[in-house]
Order: sequence, then C-alpha cells, then structure tokens
Amino acid sequence: MNDNYDSLFYFIDSNTIESEKIVAPRYSYWESVFRVFFRKKSNWIALFLLAVLFIGAFGISWFCPYEPFENITDSATFHLNPSQAMEYFGERSFKWCLGTGLHGNSIAYGILSAARTSLVLAAICSVINMTVGVLIGAAWGYSRTMDSIMLVVYNILANIPYILLISVLVYVIGAGFWSFIFALTVTGWLAIAFFIRTQVLIIRDREYSLASRCLGTPTGRVITRNILPYMTSVIVTLLASELPSYIGMEVFLSYIGIGLSASIPSLGRMIQEAQGVFLTYPWEFWPPVIVASIITVILYVLGQNLADASDPRTHM
Amino acid sequence: MAKYLLKRILFSLFALIVVTGIVMVLVYTYTNRNDLLKSDDNWKKRSGNEQKLYEYTVFQRYGYLEFVDYTTFLKTKYLETEGESYTQNEDYKKAKNAISDSATFQDYPDVAEFIDKYYGEGYDFVYMPVLKYASGKEKAGGGAILLAVNEKSVWNRLWDYITGFITFESKYDVEDENLTDRYIRWEDDPYSKLPALVGSGTKHKYLIYFDSRFPFIHQNLIKINLGISSVTYKNQEITDVINTPTGDMKVVTVQYPTQLGTDQYTETSIDFHSVTYNNAGVSDSDRAIFTDNYTVYSYQKKGLTMLENSFIIGFIATVIAYLMGLPFGIFMSRHKDGLADKTGNFYIIFMMSVPSLAYIFLFATIGTTLFGFPYKFATSTTKIGGYILPVICLALPGLGNVMRWIRRYMIDQMNADYVKFAKAEGLSEQEIFSGHIFPNAMVYLMQGLPGSILGCLTGAIITERVFAVPGVGGLLTTAIDSKDNGIIIACTVFYTFLTILSIILGDLLLSRYDPRVSLTDGKGGGR
Repeated sequence: MNDNYDSLFYFIDSNTIESEKIVAPRYSYWESVFRVFFRKKSNWIALFLLAVLFIGAFGISWFCPYEPFENITDSATFHLNPSQAMEYFGERSFKWCLGTGLHGNSIAYGILSAARTSLVLAAICSVINMTVGVLIGAAWGYSRTMDSIMLVVYNILANIPYILLISVLVYVIGAGFWSFIFALTVTGWLAIAFFIRTQVLIIRDREYSLASRCLGTPTGRVITRNILPYMTSVIVTLLASELPSYIGMEVFLSYIGIGLSASIPSLGRMIQEAQGVFLTYPWEFWPPVIVASIITVILYVLGQNLADASDPRTHM
Repeated sequence: MAKYLLKRILFSLFALIVVTGIVMVLVYTYTNRNDLLKSDDNWKKRSGNEQKLYEYTVFQRYGYLEFVDYTTFLKTKYLETEGESYTQNEDYKKAKNAISDSATFQDYPDVAEFIDKYYGEGYDFVYMPVLKYASGKEKAGGGAILLAVNEKSVWNRLWDYITGFITFESKYDVEDENLTDRYIRWEDDPYSKLPALVGSGTKHKYLIYFDSRFPFIHQNLIKINLGISSVTYKNQEITDVINTPTGDMKVVTVQYPTQLGTDQYTETSIDFHSVTYNNAGVSDSDRAIFTDNYTVYSYQKKGLTMLENSFIIGFIATVIAYLMGLPFGIFMSRHKDGLADKTGNFYIIFMMSVPSLAYIFLFATIGTTLFGFPYKFATSTTKIGGYILPVICLALPGLGNVMRWIRRYMIDQMNADYVKFAKAEGLSEQEIFSGHIFPNAMVYLMQGLPGSILGCLTGAIITERVFAVPGVGGLLTTAIDSKDNGIIIACTVFYTFLTILSIILGDLLLSRYDPRVSLTDGKGGGR
C-alpha cells in the first residue's frame, strides 16, 4: 500500500438540502422534437426543396407578375413550345423557358403564381379546419351533453359524400377564392373533431386525469395540461395529411370544372386547361402536374416525419 | 340484434331524408337562378312580358317552380267544348283579350274561374299588364300575361319526392277512355319464347320478361324515381339513364308484332320489350309495326349500361387491389425496415400524396406510348383492350391503400401481448403470422370491404373522363356544369344511400367476422 495516495482523498460534509432534490436530465419537449426531426437527413433535403418552393412562390413571383391574358390578341403566341416561344419573343428569358399556354400565357410565371395560390389555400384551410376541429373536438369529447347532440349531427353529415358536398357548395355559392375556402372548411372540421373527440374520450378517464380531477384541478387546466399535450403527435399527424390534401382537392375540383374562377391562377386550372392537349402540348400539362406533386409529396413527408418526431417515445 | 338493426335502418332513412332536404335547400334556394338566363340566347331575343314568361318557362324546366299560363288554361277549356276550331270561337277570343284591361280583368268570368281554380291549389298569381309606348302603341312582346305560379317550398318538394320515390304499375295507369280491356296476366312472350307478365292499361307492356341481356330477367313493375334530368338527358328519369345500354345499335332479325304468325322477318334494332303506351295517337308507320297502342320504344344497343361499365371496371380494380395488396402489405410487415418495406413505403407515399389526376395521366401516357394500350374506351377495337388502362388506374391507388393499412395493422398486432405469449408457447413464426396476427389485422379491413365494392357503383370521376368511359362517374360533375338540378338531387340520394348501406353492411360483416365485436351494447360479448 502506498500511503501517498491518501492525500488525494478528502472528506466532505453531507448536505441535507441537496440530498432532498431529485436530479433528472433537463428535458424540453420541443427541443427534443426538433433534435429527432433534424437527425434524419431526408428532412434536410425536403426542407431545402420546400424553401426553394417558398422562394419561388412568394419571392420570385412578386417580380414575375403573371398576366394570363397578356397575349390573348396575338394568336401566333398560343401553344408555343419553349424553343419556339423564346424565338418568337426574341429573348432567352426565364419567362418563356417552359413555353406558352392556351392564350399565349407564360407557363413558368403561371406556375409560380399558381403554386402561391395552392400553398396559401392549403395553409388557410388547414388552419381553419384544425383550429375549429380540435377546439370543438376537445369540448365534444369532454362534455357528455354535447356528445349526444354532436353525434346526431355527425351521423347525418358524415353520410354526405365529401366530394358531393363540396361540389354542390361550390356550385351554389360561386367559384371565388374565399367561397372556395368556405366550401372546403364548412364541414371539413367535422371529421377532425370526431377524431379528436374519440381521443379525448380515451384520455379523459385515464387514471392520471381522474386523479388530477379528484385533487380539484379546474376543467380548463385539465384540458390544457392533461389532455392536449398528450395529443400533440396526433394533431401533427392529422395536419400532415390535411395540408397536402387541400392541394390535391383544388386540382381535382378544378379539373372537374368547379374549382377556382378563371382570374385566379391555380395549378388545378392550369392542368384543367391543358389536359385535353396533354399529348400534343406536353409542356403545358406536365409542369403544373409535377409542381403539384412535388408540393404534396414534400408536405406529406415533412408532416409525417414531424409527427414521428413529436411522439415522445422516439426522444430517448 | 334485429331490433338494433331496425333502429339503425330507421335512423339511416331519417339521415337520408335530412341530407336530401339539405341538398334541396342548397340547390333550389341558394343558387342564383338568374344565372341560367345569362347564357340563354332565346331569352336575349325576347323582350317585355314575353321575356318574363320565358323566364318562368326556364325556371319550370329546371324544377324551381310550376306555373300555368292563363292562355293555356283557356286553350284546354275551349278545346274540350269547341273542338279543334276553338280559335275561331267568339267567347274564346273575348276571354283571351279580357286580361288586356288591367282595371277590370279580374271580373271576367273565365279569369275568375282560372283564379278560383288555382288559388285553391295554393298558387300565387302574377299579372303583367300591357306594355305600351307613350303613343299608345304596344311594345314588342308587351302583351298582357296572367300566370298562376307555384313556388315549391322545400317541404312540399321533399314530400313530393319521398311520396313519388317508388311507383308501382297498375292496370289503371293509362288515361284513355277507349281502352276498355285492362288486365295484367302471364302470356307467352313471342320474343323470348318464355312466359312474360304482360299488362294492358299499364304504362309498360312487358312487366316481367326474359331476354339475353344480363341478368336475363327484367321487370318494369316497380320503379324507383331518383330524379328527372332537365338538361343533359332531356326529361329522362336518372334510373333509366344509368340502366339503358350505351353504344352502337344492335341489329337483330325478328318479327314485328304485325308479322307474328306469318313467316316474314325484319332486321331491326327496336327493343320490343321496352314498349310503353302511346297517348298521343299512333302514327301510320307505327301502325305497320304494332298491333296495339304500345308503340313507344327504345333501341337495342351493343354496349353495357352506364352503371355496368362503371361497376365492372371498379370491381375488377378492387379485386386486384385486395388480391395483390394483402400479400404485399403482409410481406412488408414481416420484413419491416427491409428493402421491400422501404420500396413499398415509397410507393404508398407516392400514391397518397400525388394528386390522383397526376398519376392517372402518368399511367395513361406510359400505357399508351410504351405498351400501346388503347387510350379511349369507346374507340377500343378489342372488347377487353378498353378496360386495361382504366382498371390499372383504379387498381394502383387502391393497392397502395390496402398495402398501407394491412401493414400498419399487422405491425400494431405484432407488438401485442398475445404474440409474445404465442412465441413463448413455442409457435412457429409462420403459425403466429397466419393464425393469429393476420386474422386480427383483417378485423380492421373488414369494415371497409362492403364500402369499396358498393363504391364501384358511383363510378370514378377522373378515370372515366380521361379514358372516355361511358359510366356514371361523370354524372354529378356534368350535372353541376349544366345546372341540371334533378340529377344533382338524384346523385345525392344515390351516393348517400350507398354510403349508409356500406357502413351498415361493414358493421354487420365486422360483427360476423369478429365475435368480440358486438353491435348491441351491454350484455354478452361487448368489449
């Protein structure tokens, strides 16, 4: 034994206050969500593409104002392919790099403006439907009187095919931007609310929530502290499928002729105008189709991955 | 169980009626009916009171209201008493001019009779006085008009719709005093050589009959009235439209009813089973063909009906989707995170997120350019060729959907306690998968199965339009385009009925398949 090592050790006092504290690693929910989210490399690629889309739709499109009918008087400009268009207008510019459409309109500029419309539409519809759906769903699940009333309403309205309802509503109230949003949201929240209601019903009577209520926690606090946090990942999952669905819905409704009005540039309308000639003038048809597909795929993938990341079980 | 089912069905009927009412309110009260006139050249050509009258005609055609013109009322009245030459009658002329005087027209006996008659039936009256220039000359189209107008309320409309929804043929249907011999009886049908239920005094002559078309036995006895088209299919009932064969005429060699008993034969497309009673008087050319007054006929066509076209395409696609999707999805779940799972997931994400329009056109382009499949259904030279692309376009997204859910449920079940228990018991992987996990995962898919099959009856909107399939998928969208209110209501009722039926059948199938599921709450196997 070497006595010299004794000098390395020394006595400390026991601290009764410190020993009463329970030390756990610091945990922040959202920090963990984003840590898990950014661990995946595919998310960086998707975010980059989304950023490019946003710059295109909200940045560049301001400098490239789209005028669908600027060449309507000059029939020589109709249906020009990219090289013909550049030759005709005598400039090698971004404006004509995708050729011209039905009325000699620039496809490239059209897509930028249309992508903006689609993104704004999807965002507004999702925000309205999610807010109304989650709030009503939470109340619906929590209050028993409301449950019995809303179930009857739901059973009746859920029987109407969604496409039918939207088509009839758009037909009835017209094809403007806001009336279109109205048609998409007037019953769109119902399915979300019903889903949330079922979730709330399950959590409401869980032991921890019951214990919390027995200890006298007020209802508002039970909802905001006990129930809603539990459902974050469910809500994000819903949002992930909601966002792209509105873009698809707009494309579909425009295609069948009841979408936005002609004055609003939209991907659906561009596709609808070009679908009859998609074999003869493919440059008019495929760019809006591809852009719509890219937007929906990116939003879907990002949403799903965010939903995965928002599940606390993946944080360990 | 029976009590529960009855309750479900009654509630569903209630829901169906409410939905119909809602759509009726939307369509008839909240649409701007003046939009109908904007693009109508006949309306633009007219002016003054005549234009107003034309507006009422248009609104009546689209089902917004019913009206009776005073002059039409006079015509029918005097035609009865005075015969064909009623226009020469002095009383008629006087009565016709009576409404020109806006101060005294109500006192004229014929006008009073007109008002009395329709006031009792709940009509309102619209009087348009003569329009004159300051010089006293009558303006163009400015003649006085008196109308009895019945703006149908939603309740009346709904009530009429429900009460007229199902009609039965009876031998008193035809209003013809000369027809004295009224009967419904079994007779030998000269066209099928089999017995047929034949009526006289009924609307249709053949009430139950056999022929060579699937399903070989047909009936005209009971009729479901979904709604009448006002524009696209001029005044036809929608159930007739979707059940009438499409395509080219089919020429067959048969005997006309007048030729029966002789050895004369004629080549014709007339469908003799379709004949209905002719009230308007039989023409000489029809007299040469028919022996009785049932002379209104339709033609035999080579193609299938709209409903059959849609259903066949949809059904094949659904079967393919399930037959391929189930094994694929199971394989993916068994090799979770493997290459097959990743590829499958990519496919599912593609199908889920890309707008349906995009991939349908993609498949159409690939199919026509690379494989040379016929693009348009109707112009396809071979019978099967036209089906290939529509079926593929419907099967592929369905496949993605089936794969997605069966994989999800299989993986969920794989983590369940009973699987660990089965493993501990020493069951092989194969036994656990096919004997325990798969049946439990299928529980969730059972519910949707009737819906996916019944859904084929509504047709596919985009696919049918892209490939020009004469099916029912485009019915609603074309109706909305042409503001054909009758079809819109008909589609609502039909689609809603199918949705409700699929949910009920799905629940029944589920409770049959999984004894743990009990539809009636409470005692017994309730969870």
